[in-house]
Amino acid sequence: MIEIDHVSKRFGKVLAVDDLSFTVRSGHVTGFLGPNGAGKSTTMRVVLGLDEPTAGAAQVNGRSYRGIVHPLNEVGSLLDAGAVHGGRTAWLHVLSVAQSNGIGKSRAAEVIALAGLDEVKDKRIGGFSLGMKQRLGIATALLGDPPVLIFDEPVNGLDPEGVQWVRELFKAFAAEGRTVFVSSHLMSEMALTADRLIIIGRGKLLADTTVGELTQASRNDVLVKSPRAEELSCLLSAKGATVVTAPGAPDTLTVTSMEAGTIGDIALRNGIAVHELTPRHASLEEAYMKITADSVQFHGRAHQ
Amino acid sequence: MTVLLSEWTKLRALRSTYVTLAVAGIMALIASGIVAASTVTATAAQAPPFGAVVGIFAGWLTYPALAIGILGIITITAEYATGQIRLTFTAVPRRLTVLAAKVAVTGLIGLVVGEVLAFAGYGLTAATLAGHPLAKSLHGASIHVLAGGVSLCVIILLGLGIGTIFRRTAGAIAALPAVLYLPLLVFVLPSPWKFEIGRFTVMGAVYQLISAHPSNQLFSPVISLIVLFAWPAVALAAGAAIITRNDA
Repeated sequence: MIEIDHVSKRFGKVLAVDDLSFTVRSGHVTGFLGPNGAGKSTTMRVVLGLDEPTAGAAQVNGRSYRGIVHPLNEVGSLLDAGAVHGGRTAWLHVLSVAQSNGIGKSRAAEVIALAGLDEVKDKRIGGFSLGMKQRLGIATALLGDPPVLIFDEPVNGLDPEGVQWVRELFKAFAAEGRTVFVSSHLMSEMALTADRLIIIGRGKLLADTTVGELTQASRNDVLVKSPRAEELSCLLSAKGATVVTAPGAPDTLTVTSMEAGTIGDIALRNGIAVHELTPRHASLEEAYMKITADSVQFHGRAHQ
Repeated sequence: MTVLLSEWTKLRALRSTYVTLAVAGIMALIASGIVAASTVTATAAQAPPFGAVVGIFAGWLTYPALAIGILGIITITAEYATGQIRLTFTAVPRRLTVLAAKVAVTGLIGLVVGEVLAFAGYGLTAATLAGHPLAKSLHGASIHVLAGGVSLCVIILLGLGIGTIFRRTAGAIAALPAVLYLPLLVFVLPSPWKFEIGRFTVMGAVYQLISAHPSNQLFSPVISLIVLFAWPAVALAAGAAIITRNDA
């Protein structure tokens, strides 16, 4: 369990994290979402004792990170896979990290194998691709077989096989009752990996929810096209659906609060032809964009 | 103890460690060789009045000291430059423990390499001077040779301390020769100032330790040894205050 208790972090004039409080529970993969510059990495650095919060405190399993003697056995983390000295071989790098926490050689070899780096373990890290460094970082995080895992953008640079590996790894860890806290700026990635979501923007908490809740809260409707749309509209409304006729397209209906199957059955019973019947779910992406719309720092435009 | 082992692995895993040590070794031997050869060919009037041992170390210390000092610097600044320091402090949140382990590992390397080079330089000089009247001045010099090795240990720690203060390689490497050699300028000051200030310099203290005839206007060899170790101690204390107070 990770507890963030009224944490603020100021860098000069910039308030990167603004009185943020939330709890990351064990047994779940919790996605940590927010636009670029939202304060995700800063929050993670505060949890790991790298940055001193301006106010508030963060605890991991009830303890302050800096108070843990051999933290790799309690918390595995990966902030920036590229932040390693490129002059060392993968093996000596992982070994040196293991040794700092009294973890043996056999475990170091084990995590290297687990990350699929056996063949390159005697090569210098400087020659690794971003994806290989990402695997190396994940391997290092797993050294102490920790009950809490913290990853900042772990799928960046991974190939599809690597992404799959990471997703399954996270889900398996959560199923074992561990705490898995993963940041991303991509909702689409989190939708596949996480079940709980913490969404922040400009250092403030925007939502503490689950993927399920967010899906339900977002738009769900059925697009119906029929040459006798007006007639069908009356029938559906009579059965309790909310029907809106698309402006400028009188044959197109947008139906909410009714399943596509029910609409089809009603149309069939009344002998009305249906040319299109498409259930539409607003993607989580859309729901996420809506939540964070006001806190995006850097807006892009498709055209002027 | 675990952190010590980790820091040892980190240092031995880097090619730059071997390169800087090789550079230090080659320069130390070239310097000793040149000094010994020029001593042999010098007439009695040109012979260094301070004895052959100081002669060995005059060149010996000036050049390898930089390579050794830089090894001390990059032991910490390379971690900041690559971002590895965040992994280091995540694995060992007690930052002073990390610094202490680095002090122990680099200090040991500085001492071992320093002594090996000191005795190698001494041996080279002794062989070159064999049969020469000056060879007599080499008798009973072991304690001074030992002190020469210790000064490289002090300089690697001074480098580590400066590196910890700057946390950037370029700034620290610019500062190291400034700390080692710039204070020597005080020796152009008129007496007694050159001695009053000069006795506190790294090189002034080193001279007192390696010379068979220490100057009685500088500190005694024992006080000079304390002055010598005070330099890295102060730099490391300042560095420790900086890395524990700042975000990694």
